[in-house]
Formats: sequence, C-alpha cells, structure tokens
Amino acid sequence: MKTLAKTKIEAVLNQLAEKAEVYVPLKQGAISSFGVWSAAVSGENLALESLNTLMSPKSVVLPQTEKMYTFATSGQQAEVKEVCADSGERVIFGARACDTKSLNVLDEVFLTRGYEDAFYKARREKLTVIGRACAQPGPHCFCSSMGVDPLEPAGADVILYDAGEEFGWEPVTERGQALTNQLNEFLGDRELPKPSAAEFRTRVDIEGLPEKLNRMFAHPVWEELAAKCMNCGICTYLCPGCYCFDIQVKTRGQEGYRFRCWDSCMYPEYTQMAGGHNPRQSKHERFRNRFLHKLEFIHERYGTLGCTGCGRCVVMCPNGVNIVSIINRLREVDVDVR
Amino acid sequence: MSELTARVREIAKRLLDNQQVDVVFGWEKGTEPFSSTPVFIRRPEEAERLVFDEFCIHNLSTYLLDYRDGSEKIGIFVKGCDSRGVVRLLEDEQFTRERLYIIGIGCPGMKDPVAHALAASGLDGNQDTAGLSAKCRQCVHPNPVLYDELLGVQQEPHLRGERFAEVKQIEAMSTAERYQFFADIFSRCIRCYACRNICVACNCRRCIFEETRPQWVGRETNLADNMMYHVIRTMHVAGRCVECGECERACPVGIPLMLLNRKLIKDVNQLFGPYEAALSLEEGAKPPLSRYRTDDPDNFL
Repeated sequence: MKTLAKTKIEAVLNQLAEKAEVYVPLKQGAISSFGVWSAAVSGENLALESLNTLMSPKSVVLPQTEKMYTFATSGQQAEVKEVCADSGERVIFGARACDTKSLNVLDEVFLTRGYEDAFYKARREKLTVIGRACAQPGPHCFCSSMGVDPLEPAGADVILYDAGEEFGWEPVTERGQALTNQLNEFLGDRELPKPSAAEFRTRVDIEGLPEKLNRMFAHPVWEELAAKCMNCGICTYLCPGCYCFDIQVKTRGQEGYRFRCWDSCMYPEYTQMAGGHNPRQSKHERFRNRFLHKLEFIHERYGTLGCTGCGRCVVMCPNGVNIVSIINRLREVDVDVR
Repeated sequence: MSELTARVREIAKRLLDNQQVDVVFGWEKGTEPFSSTPVFIRRPEEAERLVFDEFCIHNLSTYLLDYRDGSEKIGIFVKGCDSRGVVRLLEDEQFTRERLYIIGIGCPGMKDPVAHALAASGLDGNQDTAGLSAKCRQCVHPNPVLYDELLGVQQEPHLRGERFAEVKQIEAMSTAERYQFFADIFSRCIRCYACRNICVACNCRRCIFEETRPQWVGRETNLADNMMYHVIRTMHVAGRCVECGECERACPVGIPLMLLNRKLIKDVNQLFGPYEAALSLEEGAKPPLSRYRTDDPDNFL
C-alpha cells in the first residue's frame, strides 16, 4: 500500500496546487469549509484532525454563486459575449464518505436521465477527489444508516486511511492512479492496517421509508413536524446534497450577466409563480418538500437517498429540527390516518 | 425534575383542561441533554412533555406569527426577552392581547444548545460553550415585562461590563478599519435568512428580500449584495429590536448581528430617546421610527 506521511501533507498540497485548485478542510475562525490551499494559507488552519467542516465541499462543483454568461444589448438585439463554464483542474483533499457520496447524488441530478448541466459538468469532469476513510463518526453522524460506507468513500479517486503518523494511500480509479503516479516522490510504500468498522451512536432505520412516504403527502403529521421549523435556509445550505439553484440576472446599462445561485425550498419565493400564485403557501408544505425530496423523490428517480447522514443540519438547526427524529416519527405514524 | 418544570406542566395542563387556551407554546427535551426545543402542546395529557431548563433559549414569541391569521387562543411561556417580543407584536398590531395568556418566567440566563451540539459534533466552528450563551451574557432585561402569571424569581441583569462597549470599539475605528471589519464579517454570510426568520421584529407579511418585481437586493453571495442585505435588515429593526439575540444565536457562520442591532439601539436612544423598545405595553405606543414628530432631529440628513 502507498503511504503518505502526515509531515509531507503540505508538500503534497503545494505540489497539487501548482496545477490545480486544491480544496482542503480549513478552520476559518467562526466557521470551517473546504477552502483553496495557497501560499497564504497556514498549515495550522488545516482541519484534517477534525471530524468535518461546517460547510460541505459541494460548493466546489456547485458554487453558491456562479456566473453563467455575459451579454450586451443593442436596441431589440441581445448578444451573448462570453459563456463562463469553468473547467479548471480541481482537487478535493480529505473529504469524508458522507460528502463524497453526496457528490454522487449531485452527479445523478446534473449528469444523468437525458440532461447534462454544462456548468456542473465542466467543473466535475476536471475534479479529482481524495477521500478519507472515517473510522470515528461523531455523535450526530448517521451515514451508515443512509447506505453510506464510511470506510470506503464512494466516488473518491483516492482513499486515505488514517494510521497515526501517516495515511494509507489507495488509488481506486484511473484518475486516482494517475494522481498517485504524479505524487510518487512524496509517497512511501508499506502495509498499514485499515481502520475497522466504526461504532455509530446515531442510527435510524429507513427500510421501506421511501415507499411509505409515497402515500403520505397529505398526512397530518407534516404540520406537527414542521411546527418548530422557521423556514430559514441553514439546513439546505449546509447540506452536501441539496442542490437547488435559481437563475438570475444583473444588468448595468447595455451590459449584464446571468448567474445562478443556491436557492432553498424553505423560502416562499422558491415556488412563487409569475402570476402571483404560490403552490406552497404554508411552512409545512415547504418543510414537507424538503423531506420528501430527500427521502422519497430522489430515491424514486435515482435509487439513492438525498441525505447521506453527515449530521450538519442536526447540529446547526437553531430550533432543534432533527432529521433523525423526523424519520423515526414518520416510521411510527399510521399511514392511513387522515 | 425541577420545580419550574413542574409548575410549567401544571399551568399548561390547567389552561388546556379549562379550555382557556387552544395551544401552549413551551419547550421540550430533544435527543440530547443539551437540546431543548420549542414545542406546541394541544392536549392536556401532552403537558408532561414540557420542561424548563437551562437550554430553553428560544424566543417563542416569533412563533405567534404562524398563528396571526387565526383566532386560536394561545398560552405562551416567556422569559424577559421573549416577553418584549410579545410586546413587539402587540405594538406592531400583529396580534391581539385578548388571544394570549402569558406566563412569565424570571430568566436565570440560558445556555446555547447549538453551541453545545457543535462542540460535541466534531465540526469546526464557533464553539462558545462557557457558561451562559453569548446572547444571555448581554442581557439587561431578564424579567418578563408583560404577563398574566409569573414564575421563578426576580433576576438581576446578566450583563457584566458596559452594554455598548463593543459598539464603541467599532465607532472608534477609522473608516478604512471599519470597512475591513464589516467586509470580513459579511463576506462569510451564506444568505440563509435565519437572522430574519427567527426575528420577532421581522414580521412583515411580504419581506423586501423576497420581492422580485422590482428586486431590491441582489441574490449573489458577494460582499456588495451581502452588505445590502445586512444594512437593510438592521435598519429595519432599528428602534424595534427587543435585544433577544436570536439572530446572532441562529447565525450558522457567526456574524455578530447584535453588534449592529446594538449600534442602532444606542443611536435611536440618543437621537429620539430616551427610548428602550418594548418594555411595556401602552395603548397606541409606537417605536420612534414608526411615528413622526415635528421636533424629530434631522441633523443627520
């Protein structure tokens, strides 16, 4: 097995950063996120010993705000000046299985079923993911319940195994192998034990849940569950698998640009229609959409769940909305109660 | 079970048994020792779910907005700041006093469930878990200002030191320093609108940030649009903020929103005061910026 001594991590990141934007888990004061590694970033801010970052790495492939194209108008005519699809090489270093699995969910949404999102594709095709086996889940983690193997980050090109002073380094795709060849001078070669299966404090049973939810759209339990939700966007924006965006425009004089930006099904404006009608008037309808989307609709369309059990929403909801408790309640209620 | 929890359950049960109210707003325990969460009790037998402990930090008055178009009678447990939230809604004519049965609790100061969850979670972020929550360390009005029934004991303000000390630090900065300070804090805003949604003073039916025709504030997450959002949000609650600190508590990226609110509290007091928002319910009373007087100062125009 290839190995990477932890003392050589910064050298490896520097090497990678010569050819690519390298995203690493960074402590950034009040927050943490996958930020770009550069000469200006101190190694002390590298958060490889922490469980995870507050903000997920989804912004590497789906930035919160992304310029799409610029245009100029002249009288009744408009002309596209430049399409801004960004196809630079990128590397994500040290993502956990919950976050890499979410990238797979985003891939399903943006690249399959007969529609390819050119902006997502441009970013995704040049992305290499160095995943990281996760042997010590936190108290709010429940990825194993959502069909994620924390020790084998799905969608990673290379998997790192923590073995104290060094990482085991295992390429699992051709892209990962190519990266390994590039970095050979930094890597050692010896057998290291792989971490064994992790103990999860938080577990939840989702067997049969998507099918049950298929019959629960009009169930009164949604009002009960939504009562303490205040319809802010924290959960959707911290979620590694929420991908909704809006397309908007900014103009100045005869010129302007179109951009897309994250949107949230928690916001009334999300479903506001041009004629003034809003099909999701109340907060429980918006709340219901979020959970049905994650646990039923995505499953129905792509055969996978929209939640990968990272636990960020559970930790950060100011009002204690907890998807694990919600799933438990959804399982327990009688589907035929009206 | 603490004595206060017992009293809270007893009162909720009584109010529901007597059909004096249709629903009681209180707190229940979540999945962890540090998680207390809002709960809405409709049946007397469910009153047993209620608790009152050191993690009941949420300002329940904001939830009244979910009920403003109904006619249901509501029993609500309020701490000092929450009771000012109720006054806010009554003054803003978003609710009527007749629909409320208010049970005040002298507040010993709360701990922050999210900060504790974050500290336990292993996620890197703002893990301020020492003693009282950040918002309660700034509290000057821990005792309910409006109630039908009162529990607990009279509390002293939890603030140690000077209320506007941090505001004065920012005021003392040079323009360039101050711009940098604001650029740093606003550049990390993710526009989740938690600060707006959790705010009892943000009670407009249609929020300016949701307007699309015209769109007053751009949706890009960049410094210019983020600053525009925050300037409008802060100015909108000027003279109306009840200092409950929920905006700052809810912010997932640690923006010191109360610093902005407190600057406006200080300014409104200086310019139009003496004024302290929502300290009592008086017929026809309006915050300074919601009324016009010919002797209003205008030297800042």
